[in-house]
Amino acid sequence: MAYRIVELELTEPLAPIALASGQDGVAVRARWKGRLAGFHMASAAPGHVFSTDEIQALCTKRFGRRLLALEVEAALAQRWPTDGNTPAPSLSIAICTKDRAQRLARLLDSLMPVIGASRFRATEVLVVDNASVDSATREAVGGFAGVGYVFEPRAGLDFARNAALCYATGDLLAFLDDDVVVDRDWLAGLFAAWQGCPDAGGFTGLVLPYRLDTEAQVQFELRGGFGRGFEPKTFHSASADNPLHPVGSGVIGAGCNMAFDRSLLLSLGGFDEALDTGAPLPGGGDLDIFYRVLRSGRTMVYEPRYAVYHEHRETLPQLRRQYWTWGLGFMAFLAKSRRSDPALNRKQSAILRWWLLDKLADLAVAACRLRFRELGFQTAELCGGIVGMAGEYDRSLKRVQKIREQAS
Amino acid sequence: MSAAAWDIRHVDLSDGQPVVAANPRPLFVVFWWGVLPLGVKTYLPEQLPLRRSELATLTAELASAQLAARSPRFAGPARATYDGKPLLRVPVDTLQQCGDLLQQLDDVAETSPVSATPLTIIICTRDRPEALERCLTALMAQASHAGQIVVVDNSTHRSAAAVTAQFPDLDYVHEPRPGLSVARNAGVRASKGALFAFTDDDVEPSPSWTTEIVRAFSSTAVDAVTGLVLPARLDTPAQCHFQFKMGGFGSECVPLMFDRRFLDETKATGAQVWRIGAGANMAFRRSVFDRVGLFDERLGAGASGCSEDSELWYRLIASGGACLFEPRAFVLHHHREHWTELRRQVRAYMKGHVSALFVQAARHRHGGNIRRIFTQLPAYFARSAFWALRDGGGAPRFQILWDEMIGWLCGLQYAFRPRWRARPIDMPASAPPGQPARQSSL
Repeated sequence: MAYRIVELELTEPLAPIALASGQDGVAVRARWKGRLAGFHMASAAPGHVFSTDEIQALCTKRFGRRLLALEVEAALAQRWPTDGNTPAPSLSIAICTKDRAQRLARLLDSLMPVIGASRFRATEVLVVDNASVDSATREAVGGFAGVGYVFEPRAGLDFARNAALCYATGDLLAFLDDDVVVDRDWLAGLFAAWQGCPDAGGFTGLVLPYRLDTEAQVQFELRGGFGRGFEPKTFHSASADNPLHPVGSGVIGAGCNMAFDRSLLLSLGGFDEALDTGAPLPGGGDLDIFYRVLRSGRTMVYEPRYAVYHEHRETLPQLRRQYWTWGLGFMAFLAKSRRSDPALNRKQSAILRWWLLDKLADLAVAACRLRFRELGFQTAELCGGIVGMAGEYDRSLKRVQKIREQAS
Repeated sequence: MSAAAWDIRHVDLSDGQPVVAANPRPLFVVFWWGVLPLGVKTYLPEQLPLRRSELATLTAELASAQLAARSPRFAGPARATYDGKPLLRVPVDTLQQCGDLLQQLDDVAETSPVSATPLTIIICTRDRPEALERCLTALMAQASHAGQIVVVDNSTHRSAAAVTAQFPDLDYVHEPRPGLSVARNAGVRASKGALFAFTDDDVEPSPSWTTEIVRAFSSTAVDAVTGLVLPARLDTPAQCHFQFKMGGFGSECVPLMFDRRFLDETKATGAQVWRIGAGANMAFRRSVFDRVGLFDERLGAGASGCSEDSELWYRLIASGGACLFEPRAFVLHHHREHWTELRRQVRAYMKGHVSALFVQAARHRHGGNIRRIFTQLPAYFARSAFWALRDGGGAPRFQILWDEMIGWLCGLQYAFRPRWRARPIDMPASAPPGQPARQSSL
């Protein structure tokens, strides 16, 4: 199963879209006057040719409202003067990578032209090599002028992120995973998000699929992927719409594309090195840092223009494992915050009940409808969560302590 | 919504410098563009003040819905989904030459230029003189006065007479037979206008209410109009629960057209006609009553409980008529203050709802109404129980659910009353059964 990804600039005339024999649908990425404005997946028989009328109807149905809102927003910008002339901050971009030199090079290829047009006061790129076994990563970085290189011998994503925090010099610090490619507006999007809210503690952005070539990649995206929508959002330490906020901090964004006020990260003590350690606990670090930023009283801003394309897991076993780690990472984060932030214990208990009942209900629905693949995903996430509840965070603390001792 | 009390703010976004300032209590904000209601949002103190960028995103989202539904360049009044959400369609190819959007928004936000003279307002009241006085005070402050205002006193001892006498030019009708439908029908029989607007004594109409209703009838295709009903106060847990957990009387701000097509598309599972609006803010052409009859006196407060309004809409759209929900016609409603009152009301709502479904099924032979009673509603109870369990919210949610289930059980009695179900509807020309209504002009 595969979907053809097509980017359409909707101000220009549309052309028919033909599917190849192995393609089961089209994923339309819509731009409006250059700006990312929508993403929609439409299934069709392999070999189907979408006529311009079909595409027109699809765009009207899926994107029309959003495009009109963009036009109104542009008109409002004229009527409402922007306030404040805060000088632009400097930015450090940190890429944490381990043994994936090719993907790193692909990311840097997409990033370097974007940086040329940076409106930040200064922009630096820093690659943190997280205990790669060979020198391929260092050599890949060497091919790009002006990219810094740091070696972090302690394996674990949050060790690498903390190393970046230590070496970076920018006022803002943006993190990218090595399995993404940035959109051409990525940096401009981050700048716009900062302009809209200069005192935000952190920023997250849109994550779209880089390719949809395998069944697992299509399934992941159809089940929601990393999608957080095309409308900017601002998150505070509480929300009238969601009584459990900010404990369910996954709605804010994803760790593969996030940025923070660096001084805030330093004052919070950086990332929790016992989360996002890679196997056996490869998750929860982003949830934890979003939560702590919000609990410190600073806001987080989600901006869709600040977009990356993520290479999703290729195979179904890898995807099931990803869902397993979502459950595991979320519960490890919850176990940690129950201990470190007792003021919100009631919300933490409530979200635990919510999560368990919600997953069980989804599981029951999938079972009743005999959707076995869905059942596999649901079971993986639920089992991951149960393992996470059963002391995974404490085990991780011990493992991390051992890594620290070995390194020193 | 754990907070017990909310402040209510009205914010005009057409102002050059709109502000939603910090507030020590949670805020229920109604956003406006001039006289055009754009939408309702809730904020905790931690989320305030709103930044300019947040306001811009929000305004763009809300204003684009208004433009899509109201600007002649786009689709016109939206059709409703089965559950009363707007189906807005913005053709992508029209967007390139969409012109000055804010000017178009200013145009559709112009105040209604029409006079309210053709309108008769009917207020039914029963033993609530203080509330009635508040309602009448608001009606006296209308930008354009209605041609006639009829107060129907549904109390046994004429408890509304003294209050009514304090205001000039009101028609007072005493209808001692209990029941809101009976009282409304008495009001209709006493009315002279071509258009009838109904409101309740616990409501405060906005100053432009009468002119907006008359404007909403400017299309001849529109037979009935409903409008926006927002909370006047959110001071008690009962009021907050009704507004937030039960959805209040709705907070949709996009005009919606409910017609035969809405009924046909949704009648298989019981058309959700109560999404059309609320009896606290509704209006009809006189011709509607001549065509499909008066309110069904078996239904409504004081009889089976409620739904006499939605049953009339059902009859109307089944006969090919159309109802327009026009949020510009806007009133404030005083929700029940006390928890026990709310619980009683919830029981009455559900019992009345079930009775109206039986009536609709018998009258129109639409089996979807019966299906709703015996499959949709039990499924709704099961879902509500699961959500209450999953989301927490404790005893109040289960109490309300319990009351809904009791109301449903009470409503099932009408299944065993075939003669009750078979009763024909009153027409405006026919004399009311029993004691005739006495009219006296004060």
